Amino acid sequence: MSNVVGRMRDALRGEHRIDADTLLTRLNAVRRFLDTTDGYLPDERLVTAHTLVERAGSRLALSRDHTVVALAGSTGSGKSSLFNALARLDLSPVGVRRPTTGVAHACVWGPLAGATKLLDWIGVLPRHRFVRESALDADDESALHGLILLDLPDFDSVQRSHRLEVDRLLGLVDLVVWVVDPQKYADRVVHESYLRQFRRHRDVTVVVLNQVDRLPPAELPRVLADLRRLLDTDGLDGVPLLATAAVDQAAIGELRATLERTVAGRQAALRRLSGDVDTVVAGLTELVAAEPGAGEVDRESRRTLAAALGDVAGVPAVAGATEEAYRHRAAGATGWPVVRGWRRLRPDPLRRLHLTGAAPAEEESESLVAATSVPDPTATQRSAVGLAVRAVAERAGTGLPAPWPAAVTAAARSRQADLPDALDRTVAGTDLGLGRQPVWWRLVGGLQWLVTLTALAGLLWLVAGYALRALGLPPPDNPTVGVVPLPTLLLLGGLLAGVLVAVLVKPVIRWAAGRAGRRARKRLDAAVAGVGEEYVVTPVQEVLSCYAQARTALAEAAARN
Amino acid sequence: MPAAIVKSDLSHPDATLPTPAGGEANGHRGRQLFGLPDSGTLYPVTTHGDDASAPGAPPVVPGNHPPVPNPGRTATTPGKGQPAELPAALTGLRAAVGAARFPLALPSAEPARRDAAGLTAQLDDYLLPRLARLDAPLLVVVGGSTGAGKSTLVNSLVQARVSAAGVLRPTTRSPVLVCNPADSSWFRSGDLLPGLTRTGEPSEDPRTLQLVAAPALRPGLAFLDAPDIDSVVDANRALAGQLLAAADLWLFVTTAARYADAVPWELLRTARARGTVTALVLDRVPTGAADEITAHLGEMLTANGLGTAPLFVLPETVVDGQGMLPEWTVAPLRDWFGQLAADAGARDAVVRQTLDGALAALQPAVAGLAAAADEQVTAAEALDERVRAAYRNAHRTVEQGLRDGRLLRGEVLARWQEYVGTGELFRTLEARIGRLRDRVLAAVSGRPAPAAELRTAIESQLVTLLRGVAAEAAEHAHTGWRAHPAGAALLTPELTRPSAELTERAERLVRDWQRGVLELVRIEGGDKRFVARTAAYAVNATGLAVMIAVFASTAFIPTGLEVATGAGTTVAAQAVLQAVFGDQAVRTLATRARADLLDRVTALLDGEAARYLERLAEVEATTGTPEALREAGARVEGARTRARLTTAAVEGVDP
Repeated sequence: MSNVVGRMRDALRGEHRIDADTLLTRLNAVRRFLDTTDGYLPDERLVTAHTLVERAGSRLALSRDHTVVALAGSTGSGKSSLFNALARLDLSPVGVRRPTTGVAHACVWGPLAGATKLLDWIGVLPRHRFVRESALDADDESALHGLILLDLPDFDSVQRSHRLEVDRLLGLVDLVVWVVDPQKYADRVVHESYLRQFRRHRDVTVVVLNQVDRLPPAELPRVLADLRRLLDTDGLDGVPLLATAAVDQAAIGELRATLERTVAGRQAALRRLSGDVDTVVAGLTELVAAEPGAGEVDRESRRTLAAALGDVAGVPAVAGATEEAYRHRAAGATGWPVVRGWRRLRPDPLRRLHLTGAAPAEEESESLVAATSVPDPTATQRSAVGLAVRAVAERAGTGLPAPWPAAVTAAARSRQADLPDALDRTVAGTDLGLGRQPVWWRLVGGLQWLVTLTALAGLLWLVAGYALRALGLPPPDNPTVGVVPLPTLLLLGGLLAGVLVAVLVKPVIRWAAGRAGRRARKRLDAAVAGVGEEYVVTPVQEVLSCYAQARTALAEAAARN
Repeated sequence: MPAAIVKSDLSHPDATLPTPAGGEANGHRGRQLFGLPDSGTLYPVTTHGDDASAPGAPPVVPGNHPPVPNPGRTATTPGKGQPAELPAALTGLRAAVGAARFPLALPSAEPARRDAAGLTAQLDDYLLPRLARLDAPLLVVVGGSTGAGKSTLVNSLVQARVSAAGVLRPTTRSPVLVCNPADSSWFRSGDLLPGLTRTGEPSEDPRTLQLVAAPALRPGLAFLDAPDIDSVVDANRALAGQLLAAADLWLFVTTAARYADAVPWELLRTARARGTVTALVLDRVPTGAADEITAHLGEMLTANGLGTAPLFVLPETVVDGQGMLPEWTVAPLRDWFGQLAADAGARDAVVRQTLDGALAALQPAVAGLAAAADEQVTAAEALDERVRAAYRNAHRTVEQGLRDGRLLRGEVLARWQEYVGTGELFRTLEARIGRLRDRVLAAVSGRPAPAAELRTAIESQLVTLLRGVAAEAAEHAHTGWRAHPAGAALLTPELTRPSAELTERAERLVRDWQRGVLELVRIEGGDKRFVARTAAYAVNATGLAVMIAVFASTAFIPTGLEVATGAGTTVAAQAVLQAVFGDQAVRTLATRARADLLDRVTALLDGEAARYLERLAEVEATTGTPEALREAGARVEGARTRARLTTAAVEGVDP
């Protein structure tokens, strides 16, 4: 048996002490994990974590000077007998009728007052609370001062309510003493439903083989070894395993000593919660298993997205219309004044789309931007946007563990319904560069007027000459340039220059229109890409950053030091 | 010190079972304890059912007499009219159950699979062999919790160490069958429990059955020491269940510490539902606790409909050097079995009652399987519909995309304008020379001729549309399945997106369609003179015009907006075509070309949907399962009623 004691000592002392501040840091990290992943992860995966955060807060706020120890086990294993033997009083009714104990009983060593709140929280009815006042006893009870011993109902009888009660209480206590007996120590329900769930709570688990008085003394080591083997299979290697018999005070001395050490250490509550954090972290690790990527949506998907959005927004059409409108307006401004008016009869391509081509005035920026008449997107264009958004989500979600890719996709889509309106507003609000007439239009326009006026002056001069001649008056001597009279030169030269300017300016306008179209396209593309960033990429990046934060938080929660 | 308490009257309310000697109904009701207070070595306790369930309740005999089987109340042989009907019906059921599959991961599927396996095993292990040999020895299966003392009890009953007992749990891992040497040939033959290998040696392998001949045991009765039902060793539990299903009589052993455990009670209820004749042993009762525990257990038995099962109470004692219980504790139990063994009629009655109960229990079990199979079919239909709805939507989107002519805008339109604008259409329609010039032009400018570009544009537009709708449909189908428990289990990650070769297939589709359109024009215009005049190349251009017309067939009268954005040029296409072919021919051509395209799209989307639907193929193969099961179940039930295995069925109420 000495090796058992040795192992028990290892289990209780080998572990270094748990610092309350470290535990709080870990619990806060779990809370942070829950906050950041709220809405992204399915609730049912987070239930244990939520329970832990809430429960740990309550437990740590209550008396840390008390250690709550529960006696748990199958029906008929002698929990109540052991409870009474430890208390040296008949507190919990013992019987042969199964199941005997239906509600939890508690015994407090020391004054009850300090433990009342803790017992209220645990949920032991006042009439099932007992006090073990050491003043009346010998000194040997003082070592257990601060112990709250619970006698739990069974968990394997036909009474299902008992099992529910045990499941509830096992989540609240600091240390569990599992009581098994030679008949039931290999029951499936004990190992699979209970002991196995406590494999991360090895330092707050004690297993007791009770009723050893019913075994032939020679068989005891074999049974203990078999039980130890089963415990190892359960992942509870190294937990203290004691043999007891409730009928004999001497046979529970070892258990009493273990409890005394636990109570003196004041560590059980912290160890229990620390084990809970380990369990929760282990359950959550696979949810943030993969390394976060660069946290970026790659350039290629962005470009595809911008192009698809541009098509939907009608960017090529608007850019084309801008080019046309430039040509139209430039021709209007620089054309031969005589035929300029004809232009007015043709519609302005940009106005037809309900666009001005100018930047919205400053004071109007707050006001409503009127919808454009840019043609509706086609089914193909919509498909292209759908594909592009999907591609962004897929790239960003690649390699993330299970629920995250879906969350990324949902985020990418979250504002897809607002996209058409946003794109329309963007197109309407983009400065297409046609707001101000270029200086050279005015210069050329002025030149056109000048040459036209020159021609007109020549014409008037000639007309005046004819008039004088018709009236028989001597015409004034027209100055000549070479052989050509000046008025004729003015008239013909003016007309010729006007046509010449118009012809010469035409390729310039075409070139400038092309440039204006390209500039408009560039601006529209940039604006539309901005919409894509805001409506698709940003929500995706938010999810990715939440993932990274959750991962960091969980790593922090996993760090035991 | 109380020695043993026997609660007599075997098992089932309507059983024709061993009853105490001189069995006359004496009208006792309720539970009575007849004690021999001081000398008391035996406390016979009798529980009676109510009048309805226990006609002719057996009398309680004070004193030292264990219940004696009553030869006068044995059953007649099964109806001679249909000797082969029942086995044939059972074989049919065996085939139906064996063929039943529950591939969808519905909540009911796992229990149904287990039930089907259990049913198959019961048919093979017990029902078919037992029906073939009604006079074979009675098999008593000793079952119960680990540590209840089953092996010790069997050893003590046969007065030989046949099964190892011990303190380590679970002790027994492979079953041990003890019978009289005269009966061993039947058990060795392997008709019963054919899945277990017979062996003469103790074994740890759960797939073996150790046969032990014990001369102390009377012929006609055999004990089977089964493994436990509730230890950590999973194989034990499965094997115990299988053995219980093969029992003619189940001797259920529990202890004072265990009698309220939840697991054994589930099995007891199963046995009750199955009609198995059951007797109970309450073992390891501490001194002085017998009365209280027996009373409590009796209440629990009555509450669970097992109030008439015989109950034997054994005290906690120390085993002797041989590992046997003291003789006085097991004597009542041994006597009881001795009388059962001695009385062929009583044995026969037990066999028939358990057999009849097991056969009667088949009907609800089969009905449960049929219901689960129904659920499979319904779920498969629901999943099927979700996928089809998703792809129907996709198809509708494509159809609308084609119908409202909007595909024409954008790139297709630009190319078309380019095409019409260059006047190439007319030129290619007119003469072959255009072809040469196109070639030269393309070679010089390094650009493909406009006709080729136009086709590319249509191609890319259509392919984008198809890719888009297929991606959306895949996602909808995936979402629909994920929301369904059975669907979620069938999903694999690649099902979230369309198949990898979709783009390639969509491109092929468009190219094939374009070729089809050209072929259509060739055929349609075959008798037109101009085709003779022009050449294949002209067909090319005409085909293009038809394709445009397909996308714009509503644009015979272009809307204002379409004129504004240039869709009016399709009017030009129409005009050209109509001039060449005539109005009606153009409509026909366009309609046929569109129908052709939609057919191809349907085929493509069906191919995509098949990736989901093929996962349901396994379920679709089981569409007939519920009917087959119900039919086979009804046949067994009919044959059972006609076979009249028990006296209750023959005689009705016992006078």
